[in-house]
Amino acid sequence: MYLNYLANISRYIPEILLVGLMVGLILIETTYKEDDKNKRYIFIAAIVGLIATFVSLVANLSGKPEAIFSNSMIIDPFSTSMKMIMVLGTLGSYYLSTISKDVYESLKTEFIIMAVGILIGGFILASANNMLMIFIGIETLSILSYVMASLKKNDERSSEAGLKYALYGGISSGLMLFGMSHMFGVLGTIQFSGMAATIATLDKAQMLILMPSFVLFFAGIGYKIAAVPFHMWSPDVYEGSPTPVTTLFAIVPKLAGIAALIRVTMIFFATPGPLRVGWVGLVMVIAALTMTVGNITAIGQKSVKRMLAYSSISHAGIMLAGLVMINEIGIRAVVFYAITYLFMTLVAFYITSIVQDKYGNDHFDRFQGLIYRYPFMAVMMTVVMLSLTGLPPLAGFVGKYNIIVALINSRNFTLAIILVLNSVISAYYYLKIVRLMTLKPQESNEKIEGFGFLNQLIIVAMTVPVLTLGIFWENVMAFAGSAKVFIQ
Amino acid sequence: MHGLLSWILWMPIIGMLGVLLIPKEKTSAMKWWSLVNTVITFALTIVLYCNFNQATPGMQEAFNVRIPWIAQFNIFYALGVDGISLPMILLTSLLFMLCILSSWTQIKKSIKGYFALLLLLQSTVFGVFMAMDFFLFYVYWEVMLIPMFFLIGVWGGENREYAAVKFFLYTFFGSLLMLVGIVALYFATGQTENSFNILALQGGHFTKLNLEIFGATVSFSKLFFIFMFVGFAIKVPVFPFHTWLPHAHVQAPTAISVILAGVLLKMGTYGFLRIAFPIFPDSAKYFGPAIAWLGLINVIYGALCAMAQTDVKKLIAYSSVSHMGFVMLGLAAMNVQGMNGAVLQMFNHGTSTAMMFFMIGIIYERSHHRYIVRPDGSRGFGGLYTQLPVYSIIFIIGMFASMGLPGLSGFISEALIFLGIYEKFTTITILALIGLLIGAAYLLWMFKRMFFGDVNPEVKDYTDMTKLEIGYMIPLCITVIVFGIFPAPILNIMKASVGQLVSLLATF
Repeated sequence: MYLNYLANISRYIPEILLVGLMVGLILIETTYKEDDKNKRYIFIAAIVGLIATFVSLVANLSGKPEAIFSNSMIIDPFSTSMKMIMVLGTLGSYYLSTISKDVYESLKTEFIIMAVGILIGGFILASANNMLMIFIGIETLSILSYVMASLKKNDERSSEAGLKYALYGGISSGLMLFGMSHMFGVLGTIQFSGMAATIATLDKAQMLILMPSFVLFFAGIGYKIAAVPFHMWSPDVYEGSPTPVTTLFAIVPKLAGIAALIRVTMIFFATPGPLRVGWVGLVMVIAALTMTVGNITAIGQKSVKRMLAYSSISHAGIMLAGLVMINEIGIRAVVFYAITYLFMTLVAFYITSIVQDKYGNDHFDRFQGLIYRYPFMAVMMTVVMLSLTGLPPLAGFVGKYNIIVALINSRNFTLAIILVLNSVISAYYYLKIVRLMTLKPQESNEKIEGFGFLNQLIIVAMTVPVLTLGIFWENVMAFAGSAKVFIQ
Repeated sequence: MHGLLSWILWMPIIGMLGVLLIPKEKTSAMKWWSLVNTVITFALTIVLYCNFNQATPGMQEAFNVRIPWIAQFNIFYALGVDGISLPMILLTSLLFMLCILSSWTQIKKSIKGYFALLLLLQSTVFGVFMAMDFFLFYVYWEVMLIPMFFLIGVWGGENREYAAVKFFLYTFFGSLLMLVGIVALYFATGQTENSFNILALQGGHFTKLNLEIFGATVSFSKLFFIFMFVGFAIKVPVFPFHTWLPHAHVQAPTAISVILAGVLLKMGTYGFLRIAFPIFPDSAKYFGPAIAWLGLINVIYGALCAMAQTDVKKLIAYSSVSHMGFVMLGLAAMNVQGMNGAVLQMFNHGTSTAMMFFMIGIIYERSHHRYIVRPDGSRGFGGLYTQLPVYSIIFIIGMFASMGLPGLSGFISEALIFLGIYEKFTTITILALIGLLIGAAYLLWMFKRMFFGDVNPEVKDYTDMTKLEIGYMIPLCITVIVFGIFPAPILNIMKASVGQLVSLLATF
């Protein structure tokens, strides 16, 4: 019995590694003295640990999909590739946290440790194969996120962000739990496979009863990926949190939520029926709203971080749009989009963070005339902004293009047109930064210390995928295509 | 010969990389390098012209390039040239070469960035005119926005940012609608496999296809013809999508105005000829009268707007709107004369309007303003004719070519367009003739106010054209005069390809 339970445990090595890493990091942290300035070993340990996790994920990728822990978790190429993206995002935010002044010197190790915890939550969410696992994943993610958001504890806005996040999170988890318990009441199980089997036997009226509970379930996930109308917390939290934390929030919880949503969609709604119609309608409306509201509100923002928060809302909307077809073409497009989104977000937040550290705020004007002082950085930021807009030959274009292909393949012209019109709206505010950086005379000749040689090199290295994925995307597309959702 | 198109396409990129490698201080090295680069490109296009087989309609086998790019999705790096794209390629390489010369002294800040972007722009324009794969076409069509945005935004006039953003957003909007159309075509049934091959899509395979949108049945062909039409019409620009044009033209530096009016506007009409008409011939036929009326509005409205301008650059910008209206009329005629006239007008307008913008740039170097009438009511210029004789003569050649005076290039193309359109739309022809008259009126009136009359005291200090300026105006003067008397070199290369398109349209 126990042996059976532990069957295939070798596929679970990445998660075990992460848990071990988290505990190990806490142990290393305690060996430092209170006023020890140089905590280099803990960073090295964390980065080595994450790289080891990444390597074991790569090894996992080729294995055949398997269910573990009595079918409560699924290790399939889809979850593994989403996990790989999340690990890369965490690695990116790690380096940013070491150079950022936004995280207190004494709390940098806490950031590292909690980020591992968030990553574990994301892993659980990406693999979850029953409702309980989804809930555990969301809560692991959330509780650590609340603490992370208020990491800058002497700062009013950061504390506000933490509290706001906690309040919204509490309510939406409650809603989700209520939806789940209702599902359990109707279907008698929380196991996805069992639920899906029972749903197939239901008649129309019973399915209609089930729909509200799925809507409530969506509220919980929608809150994590900041889909409209559950997005209200996100700009305040993104702006208030220290920038490395914001970077992490923009990548890990968002992609984990998308991953969970994709699995749920593929399992419950793959067969035609009233439930599918209702779900597709819901996701379609939410996707259209998320794109549009995110973009329109981004126009008026004065803070770059806030603008990026709204823009990341709209990008979540685009990824949701890839979901409405409930087929492999759509999933493939979303995975590809997640990869491009990762690099674009990292570069944008790196540059914003370094500029913000110099001036103490991230107002748009701080970017004025950047090209005259740091031409490379201004060019990289321009590339990323144009890529976020969706201009060829950059990665963001190919991402959007694939979503459009998926939409039009199933004759969903309405959403395709909403998507392209949103690109035009987004062009306006992305160009605002480009305009300030390149067309305006510079404000001052001050040096920005953050743009040292190493940091510039890292930023350029992260922009390379944004450029190359726009032209040579065949292999990465094949990778995204192999990320199939396994249903058991 | 298979590599020739790729060489032409990538030569400016080689030039751009070279400019980027030259140290910042060595400005004259950058200029010389760019010039040599564009001269080589021009020479290559002449080689292309000499090897072009005038009798063959459609794509010339000898030059075709077809290499898989994203094989999984049937996306190819496919280039080709036919009688419609060759005049445009020639025009592009000629104008860019002259623009390098005109920017020689006029551009003073960030010279490195300027020449690099200009060469990048040249490559993307070639890409649009050569691409035979719809995806590739779209990529070049969009990439072109990036150098244009910066060229207007950094080196433009006072209101340059507004103009650059407006230009960007307008074009981006149009092209994204086109993208939806491209992807829809990719999946459309009626073909053996999903493909972006422009040639395979041509020929009206989509006439019977219908779509269900919100329960209503919509003709696939008509819906996506409209999408494509909007995308291309913004570029032409067709009324009512023209509002970005005056801003962009006026704010852009001289060389960029020349490129914008001379080449970029033609990308729109080229899109009709290469994509919208051959792929949806039935809808092109169906919307023919509407296109003709829009063209007529362009002609009359553009001319009237031009007449009201006090800024001479804005006047020429609106005259472009008017002249592109003639191209639209020629396209709407859909017969041999009209279509040939339209393609010829695309070429001729490219040269004549380039002359006008160059000339305005030259006088601006001396006067630092462009007012025909200043805001306070006094004259901005006056008596230029007695002060700057060489300038005046070249200006007259450009102006008359633009007006369509017999013996100069504009006349032949406009005459052909009128011959074509008269068969189909008599009323429109007569109304368009009025437009021609207004065209003559605003140009002559502008000429009178600037060149005749009392000599403005300021004008006395102006020096006549330098050798360099004369140097880059001479090729254009020769072009407009030679093609005004003997248009056969251009007409012959387009005839076969245009004939093929006309016969395709005639079957629907």
